[in-house]
Amino acid sequence: MHSFLTQVHTPMRRLRRGCRAGVVGLDMGRGRGRGRGRGRGATVSLRPPSPYRLQLSPSRETLTYAQAQKMVEVDLDGRLHRINITDPLPVITEDEMMAQDIVECNSNKENSEQTQSRARPGRKPPNTKSRRRESKNSSHQSRRSGSQHHAQSQTNSSQQPSHHSPLPEPTFRVLDSLCPLDAPPLPASYYRFIEKTGEEQDREAEYDMDEEDLAWLDMVNQKRVSDGHASVSPDTFELLIDRLERESVLESRSQALSQSAVDEDAFCCVCLDDECLNSNVILFCDICNLAVHQECYGVPYIPEGQWLCRCCLQSPSRPMDCVLCPNRGGAFKQTSDGRWAHVVCAIWIPEVCFANTVFLEPVEGVKNIPPARWKLTCYLCKQKGRGASIQCHKANCYRAFHVTCAQKAGLFMKIDPVRETGVNGTTFSVKKTAFCENHSPVGSRQDGSGDETTEGRLVGGRGNRGQRSYTQSPPPPPRKKTPKGQKKGKKSPARRSTVPVLLVPQIPSHRLNKICTGVAVQRKNQFMQRLHNYWLLKRQSRNGMPLIRRLHSHLQSHKATEQREPDEKLSAAMEELRYWQKLRQDLERARLLVELIRKRERLKREQMKLHQAALELKLTPALILLRSTLDQLQEKDTAQIFLKPVNLAEVPDYLEFISRPMDFSTMRAKLEAHAYCSIGDLESDFNLMVSNCLKYNSKETAFHQAALHLREVGGAILRHAHRQAQSIGLDPSTGMHLPDSPNKHGFYQCTWEDVDSLLDPVNRLHMSTEEQLKALLEKLDLVTSMRSSGGRTKRIRLLRREINTVGYKQQRSQLLNGKEEEEEEEEGEDEKDNGKKDLVENGPLTSALTPGTDDSPPTLEPSCPALSPLPGDAPPEPPVLGPVMAGRRSPGRSYKRQRSSRSGGNGPSDDDADVPETPTACKQEEASPDVCPSETPCPPTNASPLTGVGRRTSVLFKKAKNGARLAKNKAAQLQNGGTTDGQTNGLDSPADVPKPPSSTVLPASSPAAPPTPATPSSPSPHQLRSRGPSSDSEGDKTLPLLFKEEGFTNGLGKDKDDDSDAIFNDQKQSAPPPPKRSRGKPALAKVPESQNGDSGRSMLLPFDSATELTPLDLVWAKCRGYPSYPAMVVDPDMPQEGLLHNGIPIPVPPGDVLKLGERRQKETGERHYLVLFFDTKRTWQWLPRDKLLPMGMDDTVDKLRLMEGKKPNVRKSVHTAYDRAMVHLNHVMNHVKGNLTFNPSNFI
Amino acid sequence: MATAIYLEHYLDSIENLPCELQRNFTLMRDLDNRTEEKKGEIDKLAEEYISSVRNLASEQRVEHLQKIQSAYSKCKEFSDDKVQLAMQTYEMVDKHIRRLDADLARFENELKEKLEVSGYESPEGRGLKKGEGRGLREKRGPRGKGRKSSDEDSPRNKKLKNSPEFSDSLLPMQPSDVLDMPVDPNEPTYCLCHQVSYGEMIGCDNPDCPIEWFHFACVDLATKPKGKWFCPRCTQDKKKK
Repeated sequence: MHSFLTQVHTPMRRLRRGCRAGVVGLDMGRGRGRGRGRGRGATVSLRPPSPYRLQLSPSRETLTYAQAQKMVEVDLDGRLHRINITDPLPVITEDEMMAQDIVECNSNKENSEQTQSRARPGRKPPNTKSRRRESKNSSHQSRRSGSQHHAQSQTNSSQQPSHHSPLPEPTFRVLDSLCPLDAPPLPASYYRFIEKTGEEQDREAEYDMDEEDLAWLDMVNQKRVSDGHASVSPDTFELLIDRLERESVLESRSQALSQSAVDEDAFCCVCLDDECLNSNVILFCDICNLAVHQECYGVPYIPEGQWLCRCCLQSPSRPMDCVLCPNRGGAFKQTSDGRWAHVVCAIWIPEVCFANTVFLEPVEGVKNIPPARWKLTCYLCKQKGRGASIQCHKANCYRAFHVTCAQKAGLFMKIDPVRETGVNGTTFSVKKTAFCENHSPVGSRQDGSGDETTEGRLVGGRGNRGQRSYTQSPPPPPRKKTPKGQKKGKKSPARRSTVPVLLVPQIPSHRLNKICTGVAVQRKNQFMQRLHNYWLLKRQSRNGMPLIRRLHSHLQSHKATEQREPDEKLSAAMEELRYWQKLRQDLERARLLVELIRKRERLKREQMKLHQAALELKLTPALILLRSTLDQLQEKDTAQIFLKPVNLAEVPDYLEFISRPMDFSTMRAKLEAHAYCSIGDLESDFNLMVSNCLKYNSKETAFHQAALHLREVGGAILRHAHRQAQSIGLDPSTGMHLPDSPNKHGFYQCTWEDVDSLLDPVNRLHMSTEEQLKALLEKLDLVTSMRSSGGRTKRIRLLRREINTVGYKQQRSQLLNGKEEEEEEEEGEDEKDNGKKDLVENGPLTSALTPGTDDSPPTLEPSCPALSPLPGDAPPEPPVLGPVMAGRRSPGRSYKRQRSSRSGGNGPSDDDADVPETPTACKQEEASPDVCPSETPCPPTNASPLTGVGRRTSVLFKKAKNGARLAKNKAAQLQNGGTTDGQTNGLDSPADVPKPPSSTVLPASSPAAPPTPATPSSPSPHQLRSRGPSSDSEGDKTLPLLFKEEGFTNGLGKDKDDDSDAIFNDQKQSAPPPPKRSRGKPALAKVPESQNGDSGRSMLLPFDSATELTPLDLVWAKCRGYPSYPAMVVDPDMPQEGLLHNGIPIPVPPGDVLKLGERRQKETGERHYLVLFFDTKRTWQWLPRDKLLPMGMDDTVDKLRLMEGKKPNVRKSVHTAYDRAMVHLNHVMNHVKGNLTFNPSNFI
Repeated sequence: MATAIYLEHYLDSIENLPCELQRNFTLMRDLDNRTEEKKGEIDKLAEEYISSVRNLASEQRVEHLQKIQSAYSKCKEFSDDKVQLAMQTYEMVDKHIRRLDADLARFENELKEKLEVSGYESPEGRGLKKGEGRGLREKRGPRGKGRKSSDEDSPRNKKLKNSPEFSDSLLPMQPSDVLDMPVDPNEPTYCLCHQVSYGEMIGCDNPDCPIEWFHFACVDLATKPKGKWFCPRCTQDKKKK
């Protein structure tokens, strides 16, 4: 039953459009199949008998075989009807069209048949092989026995089934006692069909045995039992068959692709039409590929599996010859006498007809063909006596032609249905018309399908189709003679043997072995062989139909979907992909857009900033200029000394000396508050700041020097700013641009001539020093801004020198001036000051004048102020005549106050020392005539400046120490300091200008140095900003004699002051002699000796050599074989527990070092300094004074020393050591600042 | 059709993108308007200042200038906000794109697998597709030179030779393939050469770099350098400072 149901859904393999046709076939088949099975009283009834059947044919089981053969069971609307085949049946004309179609095919022109009733097919015996126990033979018989049935039915008409008997009366009684129970509520769904998955189905055997199988198995088992083997159970059988089926499906699947595809252009070879309706599809023979309409070939339903045309089915191997025509190929049917004829021929030849008009077989009436027809000669094939011809339907045309030849030639052949209503009722007939070539209706030749508008079917005009369909058979004359020969023996034997086997896939033996591995059967191989054969036969008997339909249908549908699905899937996926890519593109575009927006916004932001800057420039150009100038200035203050206001807490006395403190931050604040209207305002503040610094700090301090340096570079910046302001044209009142831009004065268009002329002092005579300076500086700026060339460097050098010259002149005049202004009282001292100044100036100036010393002019600038006791820090003032006390300059007012306490007593001694130098000084003055007046007093007062200077420093000490409350006794000490100070200054010059060439002229100045005993003040240059009392006190302690007692600790009590006083006094006495000696221009070497003598008592007297080297000084130490190396002088007597220098720990010299030093000093008789190198290992060394040079005093010196090394790596190490030393210095200085607060208390 | 789930998810996620874009753009527009207002204000203030500066005391000047200053700082704030917004938006879109790229790659791979399984292929179709692509590429001649030569091989050969490349060409939306998209005249240009982006690009590590992105070839790079990289311009600027 299951198989029947699934049949509905089985698409036919070789159908073009077979769906509905399949259904039609099914209905018929079902009715037939069932009828057959039951009618025969099958032992296995697959379906429970329905109540109707019992009712309709109660005596069914009792029927005899003959009776059963005459019964037809029809299942209509679910009810089973059993009809005797002899019963008259009413004719149903409801579906006329269908009937018509059938009739058309079955009738020809002459003998139109009455259409058969619709019920008729139902009575037809099935011609398919259903599942019966009979072998194929019987089915074939039945198939061929359509007409026999006919005859039978007529003969057996007397037999009636029992349905004529009255119906039994129903009897019933009502039971009162029984009350009907309510049926329990049924679940919403009774059954659920769960489809098995493929694997599940694969596991179980789907095959059901039928009667045939049972019989076969019985037979086999009987034999096996008789042979002594165990019988095979039906289950095993089913399983094995199932496996075989599966294998075959797999096999066929692999072969499936090789099968020819459905030909879409196929046409029916009977009607030559390619029209294909669902009810009338074109079938293809599975062997010869013959294409015919269902109706044209009489296939009312489409069989499962393969379909073969009659000739392939019954004589596949040999070609058929039609009895009616000489052509081969095309659709054949057997004649009733066992020969073959074309279906078309049978249709067209009037005497011939089909016995069964539905199945269109067999062909009958060949014998009725009149001999005249056989004798007609076909005008197309010119063959006479072969087959029967028809003649042109044109009235007087007698041209004869074979039907197939006409088809081949494309003659006009038309079949028209005709309805005739006669006495017997309506009959359908067809009118067939065929014309010869000459009489074909117009248009049909050109276009065969042209007049198909009518209902009629045009068979013709398809010459090409016909041609394809037929081939002329070889002329076998016997054919002609044996029209009545009927079955030739040659045909029948061939039939059986050549049943096509290709549709049953052969299963390779290895597969067979595999199949049976899972089964336990005795004598397996033998059984399998038999089973396989049986299976093959069974398949063959079913025309190769698979025994399990599911697999087959699965295969079919699978193939179909495989073909189509990838296609669809692919295109769908591609479509989708395209969609996503489009989306991606859109997104990309969006990203692009956003990216552009981002860029735009960034640009906008930039624009905003620029806009702001532009507006600022527009509104406050002056401010911006000032600001940039200030920035530049500040940049030059690398040590950031001037960054913040002076911390008054650190230096409480600052305001005593400085009335208007100034620093960069204040300046900036003022600037931002629009307090500056012009560069001039800024400049004045800048100058104020620098001069404050110079004023407060003694000139030897780093601060002082920084200030000097800053003034130097700052001047250039300010001058540049001035020029800019001029060229820009600023309105001082608004700080904005002038409405008209000023003329660009040709600042930058100056020539070497201008510069050269300016360089000549004579040309500047008309100008004041100030003007000269200014002019020179301008030229310098200008020249430096030029492109570099030989002329440029030379001129820069010259300009620098000239500027120095003028600068000194100016300074001196200012000094004189200032002196005049502030202190008129001490003229003597003034004179001395002047002298001193001259003396000091001589050094640099002379050196500047000599070509040899010029090699590094810029460095001269800082060095000069450093040397000069009265650095020309002060803002330019009109030169005033009159000597000014030199020492008073930088420390400023504090000195004035102290001066009264000074005694001029030291003067004379200094005088002597300076005398020798006057000549050079005078020589020098010629270069600057303006200053001459002020310098004239120099010679006599040479010595006085020294004392002045000395006084100043001493005052500084005193002041620093105790503020203004210094006792008288200190005055002496101060004086001492003063003298020494002055001399150290003198001494500095040789130290600072160490170049050999300078020495040629320098001797004049150097003599001044040796005489100075002056060590006490030596600390001052190294003292950090002298604001700090602590450093001051240190300075005090640097006094040589103090060393003995206790070194440098800060915690000195007052009592020590007394001591120091005493020492000072001693020193005072010893001090005078050296100057005297110096008069004789003693060599440097001599000085230490004399001093050694002086300091005989104390071996460690620091003032032995030319200078003032004190412990903790930084020096350039020269060891043999090494370049000068940065080092620090260390007091050998320092406490062993270590010591802090402004909070920086100073390493303690090891004992052996100390011993070594002692020994060495004894050997040489010279004083040696203990130095600690700033190398990585911090090595110690004892060196004589002449091997040491103070460091950090002078850039030039330092630079020279840095360059001294011959090898790069040496130079590098010197550099690093120098850096280290500078770091040390900075630390010390910072600590000075930090410690300032607590130190004073120690002294108070 | 059997769309992959992740692509569905992607659709869901991208649904909000337009709204968010619009929201961001509106915000930016808003900010822009306010900036413009401020600018107008500033201009007025400047005018005022110029006209009256002569009579103003320095404090007043400072005050006035400060007003301008504050207006400017407001403007700057707005600008910064806008830039931030733009970056955010960019990130957002970029994130989506990256995700889509990943999903697409996956999708393509699946598709390819399917094709291989079914044994179905339509080389003509692909060839056609590629032909189009090539045409485009050639149109953009200067941009993708390196890739063109490899395209000369017939697609079939290519598939046989190196399947990775084949799959590469199957995924036309891979970053490098963005080139194949029609040229947008508004596409931003990058690099010293002022061309649109193509191939491998390197970003300058200076956040304020005006150019930002450079073609490898234009800066003489073959591979991605390690550590920070600064463009020639920024390097120069840095040196100057």
